[in-house]
Amino acid sequence: MRAVNLRLIAGLGLLAIPLLAHHSFQAEFDAGNAVTITGVVTKLEWTNPHAHFYIDVKGPDGKVENWNLELASPNVLRRLGWSREIFKIGDTVTVFCARAKDGSNLASARTVMLPDGRKMSAGSLADDPPSGK
Amino acid sequence: MLGLTVACISATAQVQPEGGGQALAALVHLQSKSTAAPPRLSDGKPDLSGIWGPDVHFMYDISSALKPGEALPLQPWALKVTRERMSKDDPEANCLPLGVPRMSPYPWKIVQTGSLILLLHEGNMHSYRQIFMDGRGHPKDMDPTWFGDSIGKWDGDVLVVDTVGFNDKAWFDSAAHPHTEKMHVTERYRRVDFGHMDFDVTIDDPGAYTRPFTLYGHSHLLEHTEIMEYVCVEDRQQDLVHIVGKDARK
Repeated sequence: MRAVNLRLIAGLGLLAIPLLAHHSFQAEFDAGNAVTITGVVTKLEWTNPHAHFYIDVKGPDGKVENWNLELASPNVLRRLGWSREIFKIGDTVTVFCARAKDGSNLASARTVMLPDGRKMSAGSLADDPPSGK
Repeated sequence: MLGLTVACISATAQVQPEGGGQALAALVHLQSKSTAAPPRLSDGKPDLSGIWGPDVHFMYDISSALKPGEALPLQPWALKVTRERMSKDDPEANCLPLGVPRMSPYPWKIVQTGSLILLLHEGNMHSYRQIFMDGRGHPKDMDPTWFGDSIGKWDGDVLVVDTVGFNDKAWFDSAAHPHTEKMHVTERYRRVDFGHMDFDVTIDDPGAYTRPFTLYGHSHLLEHTEIMEYVCVEDRQQDLVHIVGKDARK
């Protein structure tokens, strides 16, 4: 179970918040602060109203930080073909996500790339991460 | 902070805010495309039974459900309240009821019998509404409630639902439009064909609005799914503490 080096790419630049902006999403996450992070899965919480999974992310200084990634509700994920077995503790995943406004290690996951290379949408209409990473 | 070299990307990173976007997207492939005639009960009345999809215009801002060019006729105090309310206090964010006619981005189910129609809502807080079809009137002495008291009748093939007895606690939408206990709601549902339902909602609330107004909506029948359990409070605290604007004393 080796923690993977962090590659943190901040997608800067403001984007127009679409009309579908959910009020409490905007109060919690910054859609304009999107990052891609890679880490090792430590936990999956398959609960409503949001499923969460946690990954250990290792920085270049060797320090490991645990990140909390928020997903849609299990109801939504199931209808998109996810299951609770989608990844295991110890899997390495890469997540494109929007950071929480309170600066914590919390982000709203948009897409998750699994160890076998499959890219799962967390249910959003997000575009792919910007090229050049 | 992790103290990394950040590669700045000039291209914008598109992230669609979640919640409604994700949940609604998950339902699109389930929408029925059938334009066959709507089914009927043995008494000849249209059968509205089925799993139905939400209408986004009843989620974020009900102004979007008005006829084009119209605006919500808010009284000045109601407009002020709308502007001052904060997301963290939205009953929806606190797993409290949406009331009528607000929707969540999850399926809802109509169970129809001759004397009672049930609306079962998967999302928000897994709520139900009863529409009494047996000719009764509203009770004389009602405690105000989040969903009010609903009685219904048929006007041709249109189900007309009359609801009173609301409390003033629900927000009409994420935009925080208020209503009062004086609100009287008239809903009209018409299943235009097997896979599609039109509905309109007339709000008459002289406590917060200067005149009645009507909202227009549409639902798709959803197939190959069932409503699922959704217990909103199960892990709600995890989200609430991250919402900007929380009580700083905690």
